Amino acid sequence: MASPIRILTAVPICDGHDSAINTINLEFIRHGIEVVYLGYHRSVGDIVRAAIQEDVRAIGISSYNGGHIEFFAEVVALLREKGAADIKVFGGGGGTITHEDAAMMRRKGVDEIFFAGTSLDEMVKFVHQRYGKPRAKRARAKSSDIELAHKLTEIEDKKKIRNSKFGIRNSCKTRVIGFTGPGGAGKTTLIDELVLRFLNKDRQSRVAILSHDPSVIGEGALLGDRATMINSQNDRVFMRSMATRGQAGGLSPATHDCLALLARSGFDYVIIETVGTGQEAMPFQKNGIVDQTVLVMNPDYGSRLQLQKIVMLDLADIVVVNKSDLQRARTAHTEIEQRLEQNRRAQCLIDTVAKRHRDSGVDKLFGLISTSDKSKRGKERKSHEQARTGR
Amino acid sequence: MSKLGQVVESVETYNQFVLDQVKRARSDEKFGRDLLGRWNDIKAKIPTTRAPTGLPLPRLALPEIDEPGEIARFLLGEGLPGEFPFLNGAYREMYLEPVREVESFEKDGETKKRKTDKKIPQAEERTHRLSTAFDGPTLYGIDSDADGVFGKIGEGGVAIDTVEDMVRLYDGFDLGSANFSASMTISGPAPIIMAMYIAAAKRRFGPSVVPKLRGTIQADIFKEVQAQNETIFPIEPSLRFLTDMVEFTTREMPRWYPISISGYHIGEAGSTPVQQAAYTLSNGFAYAEMFAARGIPVDQFGPRLSFFLDCGLDVEYIALARVSRRIWAIGMRDVFGAGPKAQLYKLHTQTSGRSLIAAEFKNNLTRTAAELILAYMNATNSCHSNSADEPFTTPSEEWIRLAAHGQAILLEESGIFKHTMNMLSGSPGMKAVERAVEAAILEEFREIERLGGVLAAVEDRYQRSQIQNASHRYEQQINDGVRPIIGLNRYRNGSDDMPEVKLARTPRKKQQLQVERLAKFKKKNADKSKRALDKLAAAVESGKNCFPELLEAVEVCSLGQITGRLQEVVGRFRPMV
Repeated sequence: MASPIRILTAVPICDGHDSAINTINLEFIRHGIEVVYLGYHRSVGDIVRAAIQEDVRAIGISSYNGGHIEFFAEVVALLREKGAADIKVFGGGGGTITHEDAAMMRRKGVDEIFFAGTSLDEMVKFVHQRYGKPRAKRARAKSSDIELAHKLTEIEDKKKIRNSKFGIRNSCKTRVIGFTGPGGAGKTTLIDELVLRFLNKDRQSRVAILSHDPSVIGEGALLGDRATMINSQNDRVFMRSMATRGQAGGLSPATHDCLALLARSGFDYVIIETVGTGQEAMPFQKNGIVDQTVLVMNPDYGSRLQLQKIVMLDLADIVVVNKSDLQRARTAHTEIEQRLEQNRRAQCLIDTVAKRHRDSGVDKLFGLISTSDKSKRGKERKSHEQARTGR
Repeated sequence: MSKLGQVVESVETYNQFVLDQVKRARSDEKFGRDLLGRWNDIKAKIPTTRAPTGLPLPRLALPEIDEPGEIARFLLGEGLPGEFPFLNGAYREMYLEPVREVESFEKDGETKKRKTDKKIPQAEERTHRLSTAFDGPTLYGIDSDADGVFGKIGEGGVAIDTVEDMVRLYDGFDLGSANFSASMTISGPAPIIMAMYIAAAKRRFGPSVVPKLRGTIQADIFKEVQAQNETIFPIEPSLRFLTDMVEFTTREMPRWYPISISGYHIGEAGSTPVQQAAYTLSNGFAYAEMFAARGIPVDQFGPRLSFFLDCGLDVEYIALARVSRRIWAIGMRDVFGAGPKAQLYKLHTQTSGRSLIAAEFKNNLTRTAAELILAYMNATNSCHSNSADEPFTTPSEEWIRLAAHGQAILLEESGIFKHTMNMLSGSPGMKAVERAVEAAILEEFREIERLGGVLAAVEDRYQRSQIQNASHRYEQQINDGVRPIIGLNRYRNGSDDMPEVKLARTPRKKQQLQVERLAKFKKKNADKSKRALDKLAAAVESGKNCFPELLEAVEVCSLGQITGRLQEVVGRFRPMV
């Protein structure tokens, strides 16, 4: 079976009209399309960067706040400038885009503009017909990010089967950190806050993020993590969103190979985020790729007995109780602490409020994962324990 | 229990109080006699007006009751217009003017003022009310020189980057005059824009103008997060900056309305009428709780709050504002201890943009007229009617004029609201809607209370999901034909070609001019701006009211510079999807 069509959708900068695109996104994924949704109020640079990294076939822009002629044209121009002219652009804006505007936008390289009254069916049909054909042979990539993006697509679409040597790391500089945990625990927000700290730590380091969202059974997927990430829209961050494409356990069949490739690609940090997982999931095996695993918990996990069933609590190097401003957080901390003591391993437990700017808990977590020196990490842990007794 | 939970209790308690008083009026002879005496006095004082045909009519129509219990039910349960609990009106007289909307927009680099009511010869010109819409970059707190915003400069409103732009925008208006009021439709960066307005007024008229400034700034953060997506800082710092501003304006600018609590955008985003009323009221109570917690006396900030509702065609709109006014008054009085002036739900209504469609768009005139009647039945304090061409273009002169005339025809030409001010209120059907709507609003309050109050519910995306869900259901109903839309899913003539319109776009060279002005301003103030931003950041870090520092900063810093620095300190808003 052919691989699903991947497209990116977004609402332009200074525009918060996301109601139409939300409806359209859902219609696309129901019809087998994987949609990377970038969210509203997104700049030309953010859109093009994301489209390149995600290696989508096309960008759909929903614009209701005017300035569309310039905005669409700038997206097309920047794609060409970056050597990604094979990524096409289409969009719409209800009554705000006139037929005259649309004609001009087409002249500037936009594939199609949909007007008010266009049915969802017509849009789905358009995407399937226009962007559903297999890709032509691709030209030599103009930048390393494009090359990486192309390779990830090849792996994901199984054009190239990688052999086992791919599991071996050849860069000791890269730290790979895996994040997992139940849906709604705040993994994406936490990662985005950590990215801000990575970026502020020095002026050069680059971060890669491999994030996962579930495929609708036998259909498309809404890859929406980017929409809530504000710090990761940065040239020093390479992010790729993957759909699970039918695999259970929070990852995709291609994750292992994609991760191995990212780990060899010169990033200082590679972060992998699973989909929201249940009790049984053990997404990260000790396979030599992931250096550290972080389990992000929501204080509302249910009864104490539930904790006994969460397998990841045995395996995670760091357990984070996010949303620790919630009433139940204190109880959660105590119960999880007791649960971890059974393991008799050097596991860390940290409380965070990821939604809070400059949260001290996130700072602590950053300290633990950004230090590769194991002994130093041990020290961090100790000082953290001391801090905890002071609670 | 949060204040919202207490509001629910206060309304229930008040309803029980009314029932008890009805009983008492029937059993306590003296009380009954007093009520009857008062009732007769009220009736005697109502002036008589005459229709052009000579027909005499009372200015205020009262129910035909002469039994003390029913009199108690009316006077205490509804209240005369201008009397607690204000169901029938915030003021003793309805002083609706036919049209009060005035638009201004910057075009060709100059402020062009379009004053629609001037075109109606009979309209008495009382006040210059200048309503200002801002362009996208300004609404998001960024500068005209930011990446990828060039085409959006001046689109949909004016571009304000600096205090100099603000001076230019209001050039020619006497900002300190008792006959001038400015209305600014902006929320995310409202405190910065407010500071720029004050600074601009001071530049032109000196510091003594500040207490005289009149007007409204929208500044409604909750509805932005719930519906409109124009938020630039995380919720809590956004609310803190808002409170800083409100603390300043209530003290220094007693004639200013520092917040317009807006259901309009909630309604337009697709909420049900009850959701619109419930979220608007609960947002209002949450703001009141916040301002009171800051130590601003309720009788100081209460009279400076105003409301803005959407009016569509659903049956709830027959009484939505009436019920809102009553709940607000009871909650403010009994939970917040507010005096009479702080109990008023002062309301501006706009007809529903969402109810208008492109197919056979001239039908929109009828839709808007019906919505206007509903708004007047609710005794709104002012009203805006949408243009019929809105679904497919920025409103054009022709249809703006017709929309304004719709108001004049209803208020001046027709006798419906002209002679007897409450002509269509108080029917048994309206009362039935009032009861059902009130119960549904209180149920929404209880749900929000269960989630931990307004702020917790907002962070939990409760209102947002409810609105999105309602919007989806509405579209589904249109699709399935359950919700008839004439000319679209019923009585369709097959040809819904809309007229091809030529839109007024801001010319490129004017956009360029804006960028150049900004560059000049930044260059001129390069040294001073750094110091001002440092001082502002320090004030924000210290936790004190940072509005005075904001006032200093706008003298030498651009909107984008201030937003950027504040975001470094408090973070950026993380979109909810």
